[in-house]
Amino acid sequence: MSSAPPLLPAGFGDLEPFVSRWAVDGTARRAALRSASTVAEREAFFAAAGPRLDDALASLDAKAFAAYSPADQRLMDLMLSLAHVALAVEIQGPDEVRSAPWRDRMRIDRSTADEGVRPCSN
Amino acid sequence: MNDVASTFKRIPAEDLAWLGTNPVPTKPYYDPAYFELERQSVFLKSWIHVAHLCEVPEPGSFIRCDLEFARASLLIVRGRDDRVRAFHNVCPHRGTQLVDEAAGRQSKFSCPYHMWTFGTDGALLSAPDFDAFHVDKADCSLVSVRLEECGGLLFVNFDQDAPPLRDWLGAYAERLEQMPVARATTFAQYSYDIAANWKLTYDNFQENYHLRFIHPRSGGAGIGGDNQFGYPATMGFEGPHRTQRIWSNPAPDLKPFQRAAAMRGIPPLAEQGLLDLPYGRDYLAFFPNLFIIGTPTQPFSHTVYPISADRSRGVVRVYWVGEDRDASHRFAREYSVAQIRDIHCEDIAMIERGQNGLASGALKHMHFQSMEALCRHLFNEVDSRVQEHARRMGDVL
Ligand code: FES
Ligand SMILES: [Fe+2]
Repeated sequence: MSSAPPLLPAGFGDLEPFVSRWAVDGTARRAALRSASTVAEREAFFAAAGPRLDDALASLDAKAFAAYSPADQRLMDLMLSLAHVALAVEIQGPDEVRSAPWRDRMRIDRSTADEGVRPCSN
Repeated sequence: MNDVASTFKRIPAEDLAWLGTNPVPTKPYYDPAYFELERQSVFLKSWIHVAHLCEVPEPGSFIRCDLEFARASLLIVRGRDDRVRAFHNVCPHRGTQLVDEAAGRQSKFSCPYHMWTFGTDGALLSAPDFDAFHVDKADCSLVSVRLEECGGLLFVNFDQDAPPLRDWLGAYAERLEQMPVARATTFAQYSYDIAANWKLTYDNFQENYHLRFIHPRSGGAGIGGDNQFGYPATMGFEGPHRTQRIWSNPAPDLKPFQRAAAMRGIPPLAEQGLLDLPYGRDYLAFFPNLFIIGTPTQPFSHTVYPISADRSRGVVRVYWVGEDRDASHRFAREYSVAQIRDIHCEDIAMIERGQNGLASGALKHMHFQSMEALCRHLFNEVDSRVQEHARRMGDVL
Protein backbone atom coordinates (compact mmCIF):
# COMPACT_ATOMS: atom_id res chain seq x y z
CA MET A 1 0.00 0.00 0.00
CA SER A 2 1.50 3.29 -1.08
CA SER A 3 1.42 5.97 1.58
CA ALA A 4 -0.32 9.32 1.06
CA PRO A 5 2.01 12.34 0.95
CA PRO A 6 2.62 13.59 4.49
CA LEU A 7 0.34 16.35 5.70
CA LEU A 8 3.23 18.21 7.30
CA PRO A 9 6.98 18.46 6.63
CA ALA A 10 9.20 15.72 8.04
CA GLY A 11 9.63 15.98 11.78
CA PHE A 12 6.21 17.45 12.46
CA GLY A 13 4.16 14.25 12.40
CA ASP A 14 3.12 14.89 16.00
CA LEU A 15 1.07 17.87 14.82
CA GLU A 16 -0.78 16.01 12.06
CA PRO A 17 -3.87 15.35 14.22
CA PHE A 18 -4.38 19.13 14.37
CA VAL A 19 -4.16 19.84 10.66
CA SER A 20 -7.75 19.30 9.64
CA ARG A 21 -9.04 21.58 12.36
CA TRP A 22 -6.41 24.31 12.55
CA ALA A 23 -4.51 24.58 9.24
CA VAL A 24 -6.77 27.29 7.92
CA ASP A 25 -5.92 29.98 5.38
CA GLY A 26 -6.75 33.63 5.99
CA THR A 27 -6.38 35.69 9.15
CA ALA A 28 -10.13 36.29 9.44
CA ARG A 29 -10.88 32.56 9.18
CA ARG A 30 -8.25 31.76 11.79
CA ALA A 31 -9.70 34.37 14.13
CA ALA A 32 -13.21 32.98 13.56
CA LEU A 33 -11.99 29.46 14.25
CA ARG A 34 -10.57 30.58 17.57
CA SER A 35 -14.06 31.72 18.57
CA ALA A 36 -15.81 28.68 17.14
CA SER A 37 -13.57 26.14 18.89
CA THR A 38 -14.01 24.75 22.37
CA VAL A 39 -11.81 25.45 25.37
CA ALA A 40 -10.62 21.84 25.27
CA GLU A 41 -9.71 22.03 21.59
CA ARG A 42 -7.75 25.23 22.11
CA GLU A 43 -5.92 23.91 25.13
CA ALA A 44 -4.98 20.67 23.41
CA PHE A 45 -3.70 22.51 20.34
CA PHE A 46 -1.74 25.04 22.38
CA ALA A 47 -0.20 22.31 24.53
CA ALA A 48 0.92 20.32 21.49
CA ALA A 49 1.89 23.11 19.07
CA GLY A 50 3.22 25.80 21.43
CA PRO A 51 6.46 23.92 22.17
CA ARG A 52 6.94 23.29 18.42
CA LEU A 53 6.81 26.95 17.37
CA ASP A 54 10.58 27.46 17.25
CA ASP A 55 11.21 24.32 15.22
CA ALA A 56 8.36 25.03 12.83
CA LEU A 57 9.42 28.60 12.15
CA ALA A 58 13.07 27.59 11.79
CA SER A 59 12.08 25.02 9.19
CA LEU A 60 9.84 27.46 7.31
CA ASP A 61 12.20 30.42 7.53
CA ALA A 62 14.66 28.50 5.38
CA LYS A 63 12.30 28.88 2.41
CA ALA A 64 10.69 31.71 0.51
CA PHE A 65 6.87 31.70 0.67
CA ALA A 66 6.70 30.98 -3.06
CA ALA A 67 8.75 27.81 -2.54
CA TYR A 68 6.42 26.34 0.09
CA SER A 69 5.15 22.85 -0.55
CA PRO A 70 1.52 22.17 0.43
CA ALA A 71 2.90 20.57 3.61
CA ASP A 72 4.92 23.72 4.39
CA GLN A 73 1.86 25.86 3.82
CA ARG A 74 -0.16 23.72 6.21
CA LEU A 75 2.56 24.06 8.84
CA MET A 76 2.59 27.83 8.33
CA ASP A 77 -1.19 28.05 8.64
CA LEU A 78 -1.03 25.86 11.72
CA MET A 79 1.45 28.23 13.37
CA LEU A 80 -0.63 31.25 12.39
CA SER A 81 -3.68 29.65 14.02
CA LEU A 82 -1.49 29.01 17.02
CA ALA A 83 -0.95 32.78 17.31
CA HIS A 84 -4.68 33.23 17.84
CA VAL A 85 -5.09 30.22 20.06
CA ALA A 86 -2.14 31.22 22.24
CA LEU A 87 -3.84 34.51 22.99
CA ALA A 88 -6.97 32.65 24.02
CA VAL A 89 -5.21 30.12 26.22
CA GLU A 90 -2.17 31.92 27.59
CA ILE A 91 -3.47 35.47 27.95
CA GLN A 92 -7.25 35.55 28.03
CA GLY A 93 -7.83 32.29 29.87
CA PRO A 94 -11.12 32.60 31.75
CA ASP A 95 -11.96 35.89 29.96
CA GLU A 96 -11.86 34.25 26.54
CA VAL A 97 -15.44 33.03 26.43
CA ARG A 98 -16.84 36.35 27.56
CA SER A 99 -14.90 38.47 25.11
CA ALA A 100 -15.36 36.24 22.04
CA PRO A 101 -18.71 37.71 20.87
CA TRP A 102 -17.30 41.24 21.09
CA ARG A 103 -14.15 40.22 19.27
CA ASP A 104 -16.17 38.69 16.47
CA ARG A 105 -17.70 42.09 15.86
CA MET A 106 -14.29 43.40 14.85
CA ARG A 107 -14.16 42.22 11.26
CA ILE A 108 -10.70 41.52 9.97
CA ASP A 109 -10.60 43.22 6.59
CA ARG A 110 -7.07 42.37 5.55
CA SER A 111 -3.69 41.25 6.81
CA THR A 112 -0.27 40.75 5.31
CA ALA A 113 -0.64 36.97 5.69
CA ASP A 114 -3.66 37.09 3.38
CA GLU A 115 -1.68 37.54 0.18
CA GLY A 116 -3.21 35.26 -2.42
CA VAL A 117 -5.83 33.98 0.02
CA ARG A 118 -9.50 33.75 -1.00
CA PRO A 119 -11.49 36.54 0.61
CA CYS A 120 -13.50 35.98 3.75
CA SER A 121 -16.47 38.03 4.82
CA ASN A 122 -16.28 37.63 8.57
CA MET B 1 13.17 50.49 23.75
CA ASN B 2 14.77 53.56 25.23
CA ASP B 3 14.07 55.66 28.32
CA VAL B 4 12.41 53.06 30.48
CA ALA B 5 10.97 54.88 33.47
CA SER B 6 11.82 52.97 36.60
CA THR B 7 9.37 54.92 38.70
CA PHE B 8 6.13 56.49 37.70
CA LYS B 9 5.39 60.15 38.38
CA ARG B 10 1.78 61.08 38.06
CA ILE B 11 1.12 64.26 36.09
CA PRO B 12 -0.03 66.85 38.67
CA ALA B 13 -3.70 67.77 38.33
CA GLU B 14 -2.74 71.48 38.42
CA ASP B 15 -0.90 71.05 35.13
CA LEU B 16 -4.18 70.11 33.50
CA ALA B 17 -6.54 72.45 35.33
CA TRP B 18 -6.47 74.93 32.43
CA LEU B 19 -8.76 72.51 30.61
CA GLY B 20 -11.42 73.10 33.24
CA THR B 21 -12.66 70.88 36.01
CA ASN B 22 -16.41 71.20 35.71
CA PRO B 23 -18.72 68.31 34.95
CA VAL B 24 -19.35 67.92 31.22
CA PRO B 25 -22.86 67.91 29.73
CA THR B 26 -24.03 64.55 28.41
CA LYS B 27 -26.31 65.80 25.65
CA PRO B 28 -23.47 66.25 23.14
CA TYR B 29 -22.95 62.50 23.37
CA TYR B 30 -26.42 61.46 22.24
CA ASP B 31 -28.46 64.39 20.95
CA PRO B 32 -29.17 64.29 17.17
CA ALA B 33 -29.41 68.10 16.99
CA TYR B 34 -25.96 68.44 18.54
CA PHE B 35 -24.65 65.81 16.18
CA GLU B 36 -25.92 67.77 13.19
CA LEU B 37 -24.10 70.89 14.35
CA GLU B 38 -21.00 68.80 14.98
CA ARG B 39 -21.21 67.36 11.50
CA GLN B 40 -21.31 70.84 10.02
CA SER B 41 -18.83 72.61 12.28
CA VAL B 42 -16.33 69.82 12.96
CA PHE B 43 -16.42 67.10 10.35
CA LEU B 44 -17.14 69.23 7.30
CA LYS B 45 -14.51 71.77 8.41
CA SER B 46 -11.59 69.62 9.60
CA TRP B 47 -8.99 67.54 7.85
CA ILE B 48 -10.31 63.99 8.03
CA HIS B 49 -8.05 60.97 7.61
CA VAL B 50 -9.29 58.69 4.85
CA ALA B 51 -6.48 56.49 3.54
CA HIS B 52 -2.77 55.79 3.31
CA LEU B 53 -0.46 56.48 0.38
CA CYS B 54 0.40 52.79 0.12
CA GLU B 55 -3.17 52.10 -1.03
CA VAL B 56 -2.61 54.05 -4.23
CA PRO B 57 0.93 52.99 -5.14
CA GLU B 58 0.86 53.44 -8.92
CA PRO B 59 -0.70 55.74 -11.50
CA GLY B 60 -4.29 54.63 -11.89
CA SER B 61 -4.46 53.01 -8.44
CA PHE B 62 -7.68 54.04 -6.77
CA ILE B 63 -9.79 53.39 -3.73
CA ARG B 64 -13.40 54.22 -3.01
CA CYS B 65 -13.97 55.78 0.36
CA ASP B 66 -17.46 56.26 1.77
CA LEU B 67 -17.84 58.92 4.42
CA GLU B 68 -21.23 58.79 6.09
CA PHE B 69 -20.84 62.13 7.87
CA ALA B 70 -20.55 63.89 4.52
CA ARG B 71 -23.08 61.57 2.88
CA ALA B 72 -20.31 61.22 0.35
CA SER B 73 -18.51 58.54 -1.56
CA LEU B 74 -15.03 59.60 -2.65
CA LEU B 75 -12.79 58.30 -5.39
CA ILE B 76 -9.15 58.64 -4.40
CA VAL B 77 -6.86 58.08 -7.34
CA ARG B 78 -3.21 58.48 -8.25
CA GLY B 79 -3.01 60.32 -11.54
CA ARG B 80 -0.71 59.64 -14.49
CA ASP B 81 1.20 62.67 -13.22
CA ASP B 82 1.71 60.76 -9.94
CA ARG B 83 -0.41 63.20 -7.98
CA VAL B 84 -3.04 61.73 -5.65
CA ARG B 85 -6.43 63.43 -5.86
CA ALA B 86 -9.84 62.99 -4.35
CA PHE B 87 -13.10 63.38 -6.24
CA HIS B 88 -16.69 62.87 -5.40
CA ASN B 89 -17.55 59.46 -6.77
CA VAL B 90 -20.35 61.06 -8.71
CA CYS B 91 -20.78 61.31 -12.46
CA PRO B 92 -21.33 64.95 -13.45
CA HIS B 93 -23.86 63.91 -16.10
CA ARG B 94 -26.67 62.87 -13.82
CA GLY B 95 -25.09 61.87 -10.55
CA THR B 96 -24.58 58.14 -10.86
CA GLN B 97 -21.89 56.72 -8.59
CA LEU B 98 -18.98 56.15 -10.85
CA VAL B 99 -17.00 53.42 -9.12
CA ASP B 100 -18.45 50.41 -7.37
CA GLU B 101 -15.24 48.55 -6.51
CA ALA B 102 -13.54 49.23 -3.17
CA ALA B 103 -10.15 49.48 -4.84
CA GLY B 104 -8.39 48.76 -8.11
CA ARG B 105 -6.23 50.13 -10.86
CA GLN B 106 -7.36 51.56 -14.18
CA SER B 107 -6.40 54.34 -16.53
CA LYS B 108 -9.92 55.68 -17.08
CA PHE B 109 -13.21 55.66 -15.24
CA SER B 110 -16.36 55.11 -17.25
CA CYS B 111 -19.79 55.72 -15.84
CA PRO B 112 -21.91 52.63 -16.53
CA TYR B 113 -25.08 54.66 -17.20
CA HIS B 114 -24.22 56.58 -20.39
CA MET B 115 -20.50 55.95 -20.66
CA TRP B 116 -19.07 59.34 -19.82
CA THR B 117 -15.41 58.58 -19.34
CA PHE B 118 -12.93 60.39 -17.10
CA GLY B 119 -9.15 60.43 -16.77
CA THR B 120 -7.23 59.88 -13.57
CA ASP B 121 -7.08 63.66 -13.21
CA GLY B 122 -10.88 63.86 -13.22
CA ALA B 123 -11.19 65.45 -16.67
CA LEU B 124 -14.01 64.31 -18.94
CA LEU B 125 -12.26 62.49 -21.78
CA SER B 126 -15.23 61.42 -23.82
CA ALA B 127 -19.00 61.26 -23.74
CA PRO B 128 -21.24 59.66 -26.37
CA ASP B 129 -23.19 62.12 -28.51
CA PHE B 130 -21.73 64.99 -26.51
CA ASP B 131 -22.62 67.58 -29.17
CA ALA B 132 -26.24 67.22 -28.12
CA PHE B 133 -25.44 68.66 -24.69
CA HIS B 134 -25.36 72.34 -23.91
CA VAL B 135 -22.18 72.37 -21.88
CA ASP B 136 -18.39 72.35 -22.36
CA LYS B 137 -16.35 69.28 -21.59
CA ALA B 138 -14.12 71.45 -19.43
CA ASP B 139 -17.08 72.08 -17.17
CA CYS B 140 -17.84 68.40 -16.77
CA SER B 141 -14.84 67.23 -14.75
CA LEU B 142 -15.33 65.17 -11.63
CA VAL B 143 -15.94 67.35 -8.61
CA SER B 144 -12.73 67.44 -6.62
CA VAL B 145 -12.32 67.42 -2.86
CA ARG B 146 -9.22 68.81 -1.16
CA LEU B 147 -6.75 66.08 -0.36
CA GLU B 148 -3.36 66.48 1.33
CA GLU B 149 -0.81 64.09 2.77
CA CYS B 150 1.41 63.99 5.84
CA GLY B 151 3.39 61.06 7.15
CA GLY B 152 1.89 58.77 4.51
CA LEU B 153 -1.62 59.53 5.73
CA LEU B 154 -4.13 61.06 3.35
CA PHE B 155 -6.62 63.57 4.67
CA VAL B 156 -9.55 65.26 2.93
CA ASN B 157 -11.28 68.49 3.77
CA PHE B 158 -14.72 69.52 2.52
CA ASP B 159 -14.06 73.16 3.42
CA GLN B 160 -12.44 75.15 0.61
CA ASP B 161 -11.35 77.80 3.12
CA ALA B 162 -9.66 75.49 5.61
CA PRO B 163 -5.94 76.09 6.23
CA PRO B 164 -3.48 73.66 4.59
CA LEU B 165 -3.08 70.29 6.31
CA ARG B 166 0.39 71.10 7.64
CA ASP B 167 -0.79 74.25 9.34
CA TRP B 168 -3.66 72.28 10.81
CA LEU B 169 -1.38 69.57 12.19
CA GLY B 170 1.02 72.13 13.63
CA ALA B 171 4.04 70.81 15.50
CA TYR B 172 2.64 67.29 15.40
CA ALA B 173 3.22 67.06 11.65
CA GLU B 174 6.92 66.40 12.22
CA ARG B 175 6.22 63.81 14.87
CA LEU B 176 3.81 62.02 12.58
CA GLU B 177 6.48 61.94 9.90
CA GLN B 178 8.81 60.11 12.28
CA MET B 179 6.35 57.39 13.15
CA PRO B 180 6.37 53.95 11.49
CA VAL B 181 3.15 54.80 9.65
CA ALA B 182 5.07 57.33 7.59
CA ARG B 183 7.21 54.55 6.16
CA ALA B 184 4.48 51.93 5.92
CA THR B 185 4.02 50.04 2.69
CA THR B 186 1.20 47.77 3.83
CA PHE B 187 -1.14 47.21 6.74
CA ALA B 188 -3.59 44.90 8.44
CA GLN B 189 -7.05 46.23 9.15
CA TYR B 190 -10.06 45.41 11.24
CA SER B 191 -13.19 47.46 11.61
CA TYR B 192 -16.35 47.53 13.65
CA ASP B 193 -19.76 49.11 13.80
CA ILE B 194 -20.75 50.38 17.18
CA ALA B 195 -23.99 51.67 18.63
CA ALA B 196 -22.34 54.66 20.26
CA ASN B 197 -21.48 58.29 19.70
CA TRP B 198 -18.13 58.86 18.04
CA LYS B 199 -16.77 60.88 20.98
CA LEU B 200 -17.76 58.31 23.54
CA THR B 201 -16.11 55.67 21.37
CA TYR B 202 -12.97 57.70 20.78
CA ASP B 203 -12.70 58.73 24.44
CA ASN B 204 -12.40 55.15 25.51
CA PHE B 205 -9.07 55.05 23.75
CA GLN B 206 -7.74 58.23 25.27
CA GLU B 207 -7.92 57.32 28.92
CA ASN B 208 -6.12 54.55 30.78
CA TYR B 209 -8.27 54.72 33.92
CA HIS B 210 -10.24 51.68 32.68
CA LEU B 211 -7.28 49.46 31.77
CA ARG B 212 -6.98 47.48 34.95
CA PHE B 213 -10.70 46.77 35.09
CA ILE B 214 -11.48 46.08 31.45
CA HIS B 215 -8.17 44.61 30.27
CA PRO B 216 -6.79 42.84 33.35
CA ARG B 217 -5.33 40.09 31.17
CA SER B 218 -5.12 41.41 27.61
CA GLY B 219 -3.61 44.71 28.76
CA GLY B 220 -1.72 43.33 31.71
CA ALA B 221 1.70 44.35 30.41
CA GLY B 222 0.82 48.04 30.47
CA ILE B 223 -0.13 48.24 34.13
CA GLY B 224 1.70 47.34 37.31
CA GLY B 225 4.42 48.43 39.71
CA ASP B 226 3.85 51.92 40.97
CA ASN B 227 1.42 52.69 38.13
CA GLN B 228 -1.53 50.42 38.83
CA PHE B 229 -3.74 52.32 36.40
CA GLY B 230 -1.14 52.44 33.62
CA TYR B 231 -1.52 56.21 33.42
CA PRO B 232 0.54 58.02 30.78
CA ALA B 233 3.97 59.39 31.58
CA THR B 234 3.24 62.73 29.91
CA MET B 235 0.46 64.53 28.08
CA GLY B 236 0.65 67.40 25.64
CA PHE B 237 -1.66 69.61 23.63
CA GLU B 238 -1.26 71.33 20.28
CA GLY B 239 -4.25 73.35 19.13
CA PRO B 240 -7.13 70.88 18.79
CA HIS B 241 -4.75 67.89 18.84
CA ARG B 242 -3.24 66.12 21.81
CA THR B 243 -0.65 63.53 22.73
CA GLN B 244 0.35 61.22 25.53
CA ARG B 245 3.45 59.19 26.12
CA ILE B 246 2.66 55.65 27.14
CA TRP B 247 4.28 54.68 30.41
CA SER B 248 7.05 52.09 30.01
CA ASN B 249 6.47 49.35 32.51
CA PRO B 250 9.98 48.41 33.73
CA ALA B 251 8.79 44.90 34.58
CA PRO B 252 5.98 44.05 32.19
CA ASP B 253 4.11 40.87 32.98
CA LEU B 254 4.73 39.08 29.68
CA LYS B 255 3.75 35.44 29.32
CA PRO B 256 6.34 33.07 27.77
CA PHE B 257 4.61 32.52 24.44
CA GLN B 258 3.69 36.19 24.23
CA ARG B 259 7.33 37.14 24.71
CA ALA B 260 8.48 34.59 22.14
CA ALA B 261 5.94 35.86 19.62
CA ALA B 262 7.01 39.47 20.09
CA MET B 263 10.69 38.57 19.74
CA ARG B 264 10.03 37.04 16.32
CA GLY B 265 9.19 40.47 14.99
CA ILE B 266 12.17 42.30 16.45
CA PRO B 267 14.99 41.51 13.95
CA PRO B 268 13.21 42.97 10.92
CA LEU B 269 12.19 46.06 12.92
CA ALA B 270 15.78 46.51 14.08
CA GLU B 271 17.13 46.20 10.55
CA GLN B 272 14.61 48.71 9.31
CA GLY B 273 15.65 51.16 12.03
CA LEU B 274 12.13 51.20 13.43
CA LEU B 275 13.11 50.46 17.02
CA ASP B 276 14.92 53.75 17.52
CA LEU B 277 12.32 56.21 16.29
CA PRO B 278 11.84 59.13 18.70
CA TYR B 279 8.08 58.81 19.26
CA GLY B 280 7.93 55.06 19.77
CA ARG B 281 5.97 55.38 23.02
CA ASP B 282 3.65 58.09 21.81
CA TYR B 283 -0.01 58.34 21.09
CA LEU B 284 -0.81 61.22 18.75
CA ALA B 285 -4.45 62.27 18.59
CA PHE B 286 -5.44 64.33 15.58
CA PHE B 287 -8.65 66.23 15.90
CA PRO B 288 -11.30 65.14 15.47
CA ASN B 289 -11.30 61.38 15.06
CA LEU B 290 -7.88 59.82 14.41
CA PHE B 291 -5.11 58.66 16.64
CA ILE B 292 -1.81 56.99 15.87
CA ILE B 293 0.39 54.88 18.09
CA GLY B 294 4.11 54.80 17.38
CA THR B 295 4.92 51.53 19.18
CA PRO B 296 7.18 49.74 16.66
CA THR B 297 5.84 46.24 17.36
CA GLN B 298 2.25 47.44 17.07
CA PRO B 299 2.13 50.69 15.13
CA PHE B 300 -1.54 51.33 14.62
CA SER B 301 -4.03 53.98 13.71
CA HIS B 302 -7.58 54.11 14.94
CA THR B 303 -10.20 56.25 13.27
CA VAL B 304 -13.75 56.60 14.53
CA TYR B 305 -16.11 57.74 11.79
CA PRO B 306 -19.40 59.19 12.98
CA ILE B 307 -22.59 57.90 11.37
CA SER B 308 -25.27 59.39 13.58
CA ALA B 309 -25.53 60.67 17.15
CA ASP B 310 -25.43 57.12 18.44
CA ARG B 311 -23.74 55.12 15.70
CA SER B 312 -20.12 55.04 14.59
CA ARG B 313 -17.67 52.96 12.61
CA GLY B 314 -14.19 52.26 13.89
CA VAL B 315 -11.26 51.34 11.68
CA VAL B 316 -8.01 50.04 13.15
CA ARG B 317 -4.95 49.61 10.96
CA VAL B 318 -1.66 48.12 11.98
CA TYR B 319 0.92 49.62 9.66
CA TRP B 320 3.91 47.63 8.49
CA VAL B 321 7.05 48.47 6.55
CA GLY B 322 7.68 45.91 3.81
CA GLU B 323 6.00 42.63 3.02
CA ASP B 324 6.30 39.65 5.37
CA ARG B 325 9.86 38.53 4.75
CA ASP B 326 9.62 35.01 6.16
CA ALA B 327 7.52 32.72 8.35
CA SER B 328 8.75 34.25 11.61
CA HIS B 329 7.95 37.73 10.42
CA ARG B 330 4.49 36.68 9.25
CA PHE B 331 3.83 34.92 12.52
CA ALA B 332 4.88 37.96 14.61
CA ARG B 333 2.59 40.23 12.64
CA GLU B 334 -0.35 37.85 12.91
CA TYR B 335 0.12 37.66 16.66
CA SER B 336 0.53 41.42 17.01
CA VAL B 337 -2.69 42.20 15.16
CA ALA B 338 -4.69 39.52 16.99
CA GLN B 339 -3.37 40.77 20.32
CA ILE B 340 -4.41 44.37 19.84
CA ARG B 341 -7.79 43.22 18.56
CA ASP B 342 -8.27 41.32 21.81
CA ILE B 343 -7.82 44.51 23.76
CA HIS B 344 -10.09 46.57 21.53
CA CYS B 345 -12.96 44.12 21.63
CA GLU B 346 -13.13 44.43 25.40
CA ASP B 347 -13.63 48.17 25.00
CA ILE B 348 -16.57 47.86 22.63
CA ALA B 349 -18.78 46.28 25.28
CA MET B 350 -18.22 49.12 27.74
CA ILE B 351 -18.69 51.85 25.16
CA GLU B 352 -22.13 50.59 24.16
CA ARG B 353 -23.15 50.30 27.80
CA GLY B 354 -22.08 53.89 28.27
CA GLN B 355 -24.14 55.00 25.30
CA ASN B 356 -27.22 53.23 26.63
CA GLY B 357 -26.81 54.94 29.97
CA LEU B 358 -26.26 58.40 28.56
CA ALA B 359 -29.05 58.13 26.00
CA SER B 360 -31.55 57.51 28.80
CA GLY B 361 -31.15 61.14 29.76
CA ALA B 362 -30.76 60.13 33.40
CA LEU B 363 -27.60 62.24 33.70
CA LYS B 364 -27.34 65.88 32.82
CA HIS B 365 -23.60 65.77 33.35
CA MET B 366 -20.72 63.34 33.60
CA HIS B 367 -17.28 63.67 35.10
CA PHE B 368 -13.72 63.58 33.86
CA GLN B 369 -10.85 63.29 36.31
CA SER B 370 -7.44 64.77 35.56
CA MET B 371 -6.19 61.54 33.99
CA GLU B 372 -9.14 61.77 31.61
CA ALA B 373 -7.87 65.14 30.45
CA LEU B 374 -7.61 64.09 26.83
CA CYS B 375 -11.33 63.30 26.79
CA ARG B 376 -12.06 66.71 28.27
CA HIS B 377 -9.84 68.37 25.70
CA LEU B 378 -11.72 66.69 22.86
CA PHE B 379 -15.03 67.83 24.31
CA ASN B 380 -13.75 71.39 24.72
CA GLU B 381 -12.49 71.50 21.15
CA VAL B 382 -15.70 70.10 19.72
CA ASP B 383 -17.99 72.16 21.87
CA SER B 384 -16.33 75.49 21.14
CA ARG B 385 -16.83 74.84 17.41
CA VAL B 386 -20.40 73.69 17.86
CA GLN B 387 -21.33 76.65 20.06
CA GLU B 388 -19.72 79.10 17.67
CA HIS B 389 -21.52 77.53 14.74
CA ALA B 390 -24.84 77.54 16.59
CA ARG B 391 -24.42 81.23 17.39
CA ARG B 392 -23.81 82.00 13.77
CA MET B 393 -26.82 79.96 12.71
CA GLY B 394 -28.93 81.59 15.40
CA ASP B 395 -29.61 78.21 16.97
CA VAL B 396 -30.07 77.85 20.66
CA LEU B 397 -28.57 74.73 22.15
S1 FES C 1 -25.03 59.49 -15.29
FE1 FES C 1 -23.00 59.02 -15.78
S2 FES C 1 -22.98 58.98 -17.89
FE2 FES C 1 -25.02 59.48 -17.42
FE1 LIG D 1 -9.44 49.88 26.49
